[in-house]
Parts: sequence; C-alpha cells; structure tokens
Amino acid sequence: MELIGYSCSYIPVEILAATELRPYRLLHGEVNLSKQGEKLVRVDACPMVKSNLSYIMNNQDKFRALVGSTGCDMSRRMFDVVSELTDIPVYVINNPRTDRVQIFNDEIDWLIKQLEHLSGKKFSDDLIAQETEKWENAREHLRQIDEKRGANPSLVSTTNFHKAVMNYYQGNITDKIEITEEISNKPRVYLLGSAITYESNQILKLLEKELRIVGDYNCGLSRFLNIRIGDKTLNGIKDVYYNQPSCIFKRPNNKFFEFIQNEIKKLDCIGIVAWTLDYCDIYEYELQKIETAFNLPVLRIKSDFSFQNLSQLRTRIGAFAEMLCSKT
Amino acid sequence: MPISFASALISAFYFREMKDILTPRERFGLLVIDEKPDRCNIIPLITSHSAKVKGVKLKDYYTNGEIMARAQIAAIEEYGHDAISIFSEVGIIAEAMGSEFFYPEDDLPVLKSPILAQTNIDNINIPNPEKDKRLPVYLEAVEYAYQALGDKVPILAYVPAPFTTGMMLSDPNKFLIQTIKEPEYIKKVLEKSSQAAIEFCYHIIDAGGLPILVDPLASSSVISPKTYKEFALPYESAVIDFLHRYDLDVILHICGNTTPILDLLPETDADLISIDQVDLKTVLEKLSKRIRIIGNFDTSKLLFFSKENIANEVKNMVKLGMSAPKGYIASTGCEVPTHAPKENVKAFIKAAKEVGWYWD
Amino acid sequence: MFENLAPKKIDLKEWSRQFRSLDTDFINKFFYYKNNDWGRYLFPPAIFMVYGARQLKHLKLDNSLASLRVWGFSFNESERLFRAKQSGKKVIATMGDLGTVPIIVMAFPDCIPFYPDCTWWTPFFNESNVLLDRASEMGVPEASCFVRSALAAFDKKAYFPKPDLLFASTGASCDDYSCIMQMVGNLGYDIIWLEMPFRRHTAKYFVGDKYKTTNQGLEYPERFEDYLVTEYKKVWAKMVELTGINDLELLRENIKKTNRLRRLVENIKNLTYEVEIVPFPALEMMVIEFGNLYGYADFDEWLDICEMVYETIKERTRKGIGVLKPDAIPIAWVMPTADPILLNLVEDLGGRVVATEYVINQALAQIEEQGDPFNALARSFLNASLIGSTEERVRRITEKVEQGRVRGVIITNMLGASHCSMETRLIEKMLSKVPVLSLDVPSPLGITEQLKTRIAAFMETLR
Repeated sequence: MELIGYSCSYIPVEILAATELRPYRLLHGEVNLSKQGEKLVRVDACPMVKSNLSYIMNNQDKFRALVGSTGCDMSRRMFDVVSELTDIPVYVINNPRTDRVQIFNDEIDWLIKQLEHLSGKKFSDDLIAQETEKWENAREHLRQIDEKRGANPSLVSTTNFHKAVMNYYQGNITDKIEITEEISNKPRVYLLGSAITYESNQILKLLEKELRIVGDYNCGLSRFLNIRIGDKTLNGIKDVYYNQPSCIFKRPNNKFFEFIQNEIKKLDCIGIVAWTLDYCDIYEYELQKIETAFNLPVLRIKSDFSFQNLSQLRTRIGAFAEMLCSKT
Repeated sequence: MPISFASALISAFYFREMKDILTPRERFGLLVIDEKPDRCNIIPLITSHSAKVKGVKLKDYYTNGEIMARAQIAAIEEYGHDAISIFSEVGIIAEAMGSEFFYPEDDLPVLKSPILAQTNIDNINIPNPEKDKRLPVYLEAVEYAYQALGDKVPILAYVPAPFTTGMMLSDPNKFLIQTIKEPEYIKKVLEKSSQAAIEFCYHIIDAGGLPILVDPLASSSVISPKTYKEFALPYESAVIDFLHRYDLDVILHICGNTTPILDLLPETDADLISIDQVDLKTVLEKLSKRIRIIGNFDTSKLLFFSKENIANEVKNMVKLGMSAPKGYIASTGCEVPTHAPKENVKAFIKAAKEVGWYWD
Repeated sequence: MFENLAPKKIDLKEWSRQFRSLDTDFINKFFYYKNNDWGRYLFPPAIFMVYGARQLKHLKLDNSLASLRVWGFSFNESERLFRAKQSGKKVIATMGDLGTVPIIVMAFPDCIPFYPDCTWWTPFFNESNVLLDRASEMGVPEASCFVRSALAAFDKKAYFPKPDLLFASTGASCDDYSCIMQMVGNLGYDIIWLEMPFRRHTAKYFVGDKYKTTNQGLEYPERFEDYLVTEYKKVWAKMVELTGINDLELLRENIKKTNRLRRLVENIKNLTYEVEIVPFPALEMMVIEFGNLYGYADFDEWLDICEMVYETIKERTRKGIGVLKPDAIPIAWVMPTADPILLNLVEDLGGRVVATEYVINQALAQIEEQGDPFNALARSFLNASLIGSTEERVRRITEKVEQGRVRGVIITNMLGASHCSMETRLIEKMLSKVPVLSLDVPSPLGITEQLKTRIAAFMETLR
C-alpha cells in the first residue's frame, strides 16, 4: 500500500487514512540518514528533520503524498525542500501557535478537499466515522498497554511500549501487538522532549536499565493517546485534535507545563528525563525552565543520533538513578 | 595578562554577585539618561592607588600607558567598582605645554620649573596629545583599557581644567597674585589652557575615553569664590560647552572645600559634580535636582579608619546620596590614597553595594 | 555641508576631524521628538564609541552629512526610547513580524513602536558578548540566532524602557525567535500574541482555495488575509484601550506616510544599486533598509534623514562620483549580516552590493491606500520573506542573477538559526548560476584571518 507521510501530532490520522493510503508518521532519526540529509540542508538542521528528508528522498516511490504542519519551522521547511526536489504532492497546513481555532478548522477543511481530490474519493460522514472508529480502537488497545506502563509498580517498559506504538505510527493498526510484562520498581521517571524516533529504541533501553519511564509527552511515544474522539464526525475530530494537551510550541505555552505537572503527579514520578536533539529549538530553549518548573531532578540528554559517548551516558544515567533512589 | 583573559576575569567578577545584572557600562549609561539603574554606580577615585594594587612603581604607572591601564584593570579585578580612571596627576597638560616636572621613583610628579617663569604665554603652543610629553601615555592607557574592557566598563579620563593647568604653568603663588594684578594676562593663559584641554579631550574621545574635568586648584580651599567665578568657572564652562557639542555627560571634580561656591557650580553646566569636603546633605538640597552628585567619602578615612567604621559611614552616605533626584554616584571625595589598605577600599565598595539598590 | 568633499568612506578619527568643522548652531538643528534639549543626535561616531559601540573604531562610514545623520540617529535609538517614556509617550514593543504592526501603533499620537529584534546588532557594534552571555545564562542555546540578545536586553532593562504593550508575532517564522519571545513572557512581560500564517502558494494539484496575488507577485489563499485582519484588529483594539483614541483615519494617514518612506527607500536602493559608480556604501544602505520597519522610533525625523540621503545620492550620481571604484563587482547579499563589518570588508575587497534579501520584504512593499486599511496591511504583510517558500523569498535575486546583473552571491547565516539551516542549501542551488559564498557569521570579535581569506578568495573568483 502506498504511504501518506505526515509529520505532526495535530494532523488527524483518521483523515489521512480515509484516502486509503497508509498513514506513515515521519519519525526517522538515525545517524546515517541524518548525514545523508546534510547534502540537502545544512549540518545545523535538526537531525530528525535531516533523517526524515533522507528517508523521503530514498523512498520517493513509496510516498503518494506528504502532509506537514507549521508546528516546527524546520519541519515545515523540510517540505519546501521536498517540493523543490521531488514531484511528491505536499500539503502543509497552518497549525496555529496561538489560540486561532478558526485557522486550524479551515486548514483541516482545506486538507480534506485536497485529500479527496488526491484519492478521488468523497469523505462521507460514514467514512469519517469508520476511520475514526478504527483508529480510536487502535488507540484504546495501546492505552491499555500504556496504563500498565504507568501502573505502580510499572508493568510494561517504555522500550517495549515503543515497539508497539511504532506500528501505530507506521499505519499498521490491524496487527495487535502483545507486550511482555516486566514489573519494575526502578525510579519512576517522565520523559519529555524531542521525538523518540523509530531507530531510537536503544536509548530507551539504556535508560531503562536504571530507570523506568512510566509516562511521557513525546511525539514518538504516547502523546497520540491523548486523542480520544467520542464524536466521530469531522467536527469531533477537529475539536479533539485542536484541543489535545497543548504542545510546547504553543504561545503562550503555560498550558503545556500545567499538563505535564498534572501527569507527573498522577504517575508518581520522581524524576524527569529531558531528551533533546541537537538544534531542536522548541525544546532546547525550554530546558532551563523544565529544570525548575516541576521541582524534580532532571536528566538532560542531548543527541544527534550518533551515540558516540555511550559509556559516559551510561554513567550519567546510573548516577541519576542513584540520586533518585537516595531521595526515596 | 592578555586582554581577552582580563575581560573574561572581569566578567566572572561582576557576575558572581547574582544581583549585579548590569555591567558598569550599562549602569552608567542609564544614569546619564536619567534612568535609575539596578544600583548606584560606585566609582571611588582609584587612580595611583591602582599602581599599588598591581604592584608596579608609581613612576612606571604614570610614564607608561600600558602599565597604567593594566594597573587600572587590576584594580577593577580586585575591587569590582564601576569605572576605570585614567589619571595620575594634574600637571599633565602643563607639562606638555612646557612646565618641567620631577619624577620620583615611587611618588607622583612634582612641579620643578613652571614654563611661565621662562617665557610668555604667547610663545607657548597648544600641545599635540599624540606626541607631547606624557599626553600620549594617557591616550595609550585609554586605548588599552578600552580595548580590554570598554564593552563592560566606562573609561574615564581625567583632564586638568584650565585653572589648575594655569597654576601648573606658573608658580602657583605668583599666578594667584597675577589674577589681581594682571587679570587679562591670566585670562590669556587660561584661554590657552582651555584650548589645550579641549584638544586633549578630542583625542581622549577618539581613544574611547570619557573626559572628566578636574579642577582641584579651583577649590575654596585654595582660592576665593570671587576668584573662582572670574578665573575658573568661565574656563571650566568653556571646556564643558565643547564637550556638550558631543552630548557627553561631563563630570566636574573639585576636591577640597567647595561649600562657598556651591551656588556657582551649576553655572558651569556640568552634568555631574564630584564633591569632597562639603556636607552631602547641603549639596543634595542645593544641587541634586539639577545635577547628578558624586561623592564624597573622606579619603583620609580609607587610610586610618577600621573596615567597620568605613562600612557604616559609607552606608549612611550612600543612603543619603540615593535620594538625589537626578542621580548619584558613590565615590570618594578625592583620590584613594596610594597606600590605602586594600581591605578598606573593599569595605567601601562592599558597603555601597549592600545598600545602593534602586531595583527590587 | 560636506558637499565639497569627495565622497569616501572614512574612519572614526577622520569623522571626528570632519565634525569639528560644524558649528554648534548647525549641530543643534537636528533633533528628535521636536526636543532640542535632550533630543539632539548629530554626533560623530566617536561619541557612540565612547559609550560602548567599539566596532566604530574599525568601521569605515560614508563622509556625508546624510550618513552622519543616519548613524547618529540610529545609534541614539536606545536613549530615544527612554526619553520617549520619560516625556509621556507610550513605548510599544513589537516583535517578530518585521514591518506591519508598527504602522498601526504609529497611527496613535505619541505612541512609539520599536523592535527589540534590532538588538541583535548590539553585540557586534559593541564588540561584546555581554548580551549573548546573559542569554546563555538564561538557557538559550549557544548555536542559535543572535536575536537572543533581545532576551538579555529585556532581562537587563538597560537597552529600552519597559514597554507599555508588547506584541509578539509567531507562527510561520523562525523558531528561535518564537522561543525567545516565549522566554520574554516567562520573565513576566505581558505578551499579546499574534499569528502569522504560512503563505502557502498554490500547486497544480491543489483544489478549493481561491488565490490572490500580492503586489510583489506572491500567491496566497484569499482567506489568509482575513486571518491577518483579525490579528491587526486585535492590535488596534489594544491600542484603543491604551490611548482612548479610535480613529481609522489616523491609520489611513499613517499608511500614506509609511508608503512615502517605502517609496523613498525604494528610490534610494534603485539608484544606488543601478548606477555605475556606487554613491552610498552597503552598510549605510542596510541601516536605511531596516529603517522601514519603524523609523528607529521617530518616523518623521527618519523620513527627513532618508530624504537627505536621497538628495545626496542623486547629487553624487549627477556628478558621477561615489565611494567605490567603478569596477566594483556586483554581488547580491542574502540575509542581513549580524556583523556589520562584513559589509565593509566585502567592499574593501572590491565588491558592491546591488541586490539584497534582508528577510524584510514585507517592509519594502507599498501598502494600498484605498479600501479597508486592515486588509491593505494584511495584503502587504503577505509579502513577508520568511512566511513562504524559499523560492519566493529569493525570487527577486534569482531574477537579477538570470539577467546577469549579479556576478556573485553572499549568504550570511547564523549557526543554529532554524530557517538558515533549512534554506541555505536551497538558496545556493537556486542561485547557482553564479558563484555563491555561504558564511556563518561568528560571534563578536570572531572574524578570523581564515574567514577574511575565504571572502577575498571568493571576490577573486568573481573578478
């Protein structure tokens, strides 16, 4: 099945699926892909953007279309590069940073028109309802796994959870993944930051040797589980996607911090892992605030996917875990 | 010490005190546009004392521009005050105009042979600050300090005012007598001294320094208010007028007793008045609505008082000074004595910083 | 004054010497806010250098009276903003949109808009890392746009007064600055956020939206105008609340005044960039171009200055004289350089700037004077450089390259700045008909001999 790639948590996957293309979240992040991307953009571009760019260029024939948003400037411009260099139809919607719901709704309407034209199908109410049901069921299944992750003690590792959600992101929602349970009493931490990519499972594994990530606000992990669509209409979809827990790029972004505060409390976290990619403006600028906003110890990990100093990282994670244990 | 390293050290010094958000440059900049900075500027007159801080001989200090600048930088490092003061003594222009000075190894230059004892003022040229005597030393010091720290710290360069220079061109006693017996001749001398001061200021500005006018020999400790009004004030005013063409904020420093001429000082048009042996409260009442006030801790106390007493007095002084509507700089009334104990100078600055805050 | 002097670029000392010939009455003729007490600004570069602008010791500036006014006025801006507040005017910070919000602000009497964004030059003119270091202490990554100085400036409160209102435009623009603006909000400043939409041009596979074209030939979905109109009406409402005045005629009048300046600057640019002998240097031209954003906090005086600049350029052109050699190599400059000395350097090495893309297309375009003023502003803003595609952004440069009027292109980037990292390679490709030199502007005092050699070698290849 041909793919329809997309880049942002605000893009309703249900609408993409209505085209009968497989929605494929652009979540690649890997050192070789990133290096390839440097032929097309500068070295100081986000490594995930570089990786996604390379992936698209290497797999042009797989993508029937691409859908982006203005949530992240580099990501938006990535689509500009793709437009210049390929014939893949690209649709970038305005994802307002400020409270402009009208713009969002209009842009979703516009996107639907484009996708109807692309697919040659009319997106009827029934079709929308069907797709919504499908994807909502997929999310519900993964929510149940996520609940086990957040249970006390935690029953599911994020390392394994990540493997499960990858299917969702890659549009494979028919296969139901069963996850092996592993109880853990390791220090409970919350993961924030730049997206965890398909190729980043190793960092989760490294972290969870000493810690247990019981919750996250991450575009490559469980963030999409906040989408709960009860009203399976187009308006219902728009409403839920627009009003999902606020992204850090929103202005002002105090609601993001309020949401995280509540989540951390709910999940009994005693520490935070702030994972940022090099040149990820959206998160890098907020790190100092993250360190003070939640009254919890924060472990900062910065990466370009090269993972050159793994032993140093192991030591830091170990020390962080020890520190958290000594506080409990 | 390499200039870049000095700059980094000073950065570390200023920002280790968390409340000091502004650099001295920013702080002074706000003062002169009638804005309240984070705290009052603290600029004790640390001039030749800096040579002792650096551990160099005074003679080297006042004959070598780089050494002078490095000594000033060392003082900033040591004390963390708010300006560099390029200055050694008030004879510098007179020397460039022909007066001879004796240079002791470890003391400041002393007038040996005034030029007007040998010739008439008509035969004296306006000195070239780039070449004549020790004027280039000053300029080199200004340039060096500016390059090292000019982005963070204002570089103040003290320029002898015409009256003081006039006194150094002549035998001071004779000069004073001539103000009565040959006033027109003295005015010629003062006119030429004004031109010399202005020329020097041009070059100081181009080097990056802010000229400060010093006129210690015009204080009421030396001359009468009448003499001041006729022979000092107009020429101070002429230099200040010149500097105002450039929108520079001019500090006029007259040490000693200036109580009898307080009412005259605004006529100079100076923007900041640096005072010494005068009651601060009186000065604030008379002048502080129009002019910014600098001063006026008794420098002899830096030699003889204990740290605690210094701190107490400074705090009282600063609290009073900060009520000045136009603005206030915490300072000493005159130059910090060369041999003042460092702890005492530190006590001064620490005390001023403790109480000198405008911002919450 | 100075008309009999052969035009040239002179250094600080020469300017001091030249300034001496001006008498005090003449100097006192030039002042801002109609206040000739503290409002004078005609001073030689040395004065601003004394107060910290260290780079003036190394720059070479045009020797005309017009240039003296340009520099005195622009360097005086910080004091001017404080004086504005002291004298009872309202000072309004506008961030991010680069050119449109100030037009609304200035329609209200005694309201002075300014761009904290312009503090990005302060570290370079001061040859100082003070602001950049402070920004780092506050958590801004080192590899990011130099506009991070603005955050430090807000924190220090020593570069401009506390604004009475603060408008921050975000959306389809660079993320660095959006993050800086958020951090300013975190300091406790009350921000009124405005949304800038991404100007999505049409594609052959698009359907549905009706498209319009700006007066610079850029396509946009018609409804985007309405999005912007909503934002501009928000600005208007806030200004009405602040001032108690609500008169759209004032806005119409201000649009006309803005257009006068923009026309004037367009004429200045056209003349300077087209004539054989360069009449005015590139550094002054950059300052002039950026003056379009808000007139450096006294629009009327700035307009007067630009009129003098234009007269000077016309006179020099008439006489066939200028500041560079006739064989100076025409180059296009993409991205305003944070370090002004680079413009001096390129001219010293034989180049002349004949085309610029300084991320402020929206501040160069004329605004319609008929019809609804908010719609007119929206249509004008939709010309913005950074809200659309890279191709649209450099289109005018591409045209000049195609026409053979440009022999080389210089792009000045900043390491880590979001749009630089993504656009530069594309721009290089689009303009590849001529040699392209892409530089990362280093931090203040960071220009190495190696960098100078690269630029020199580039200029050699163009010869």
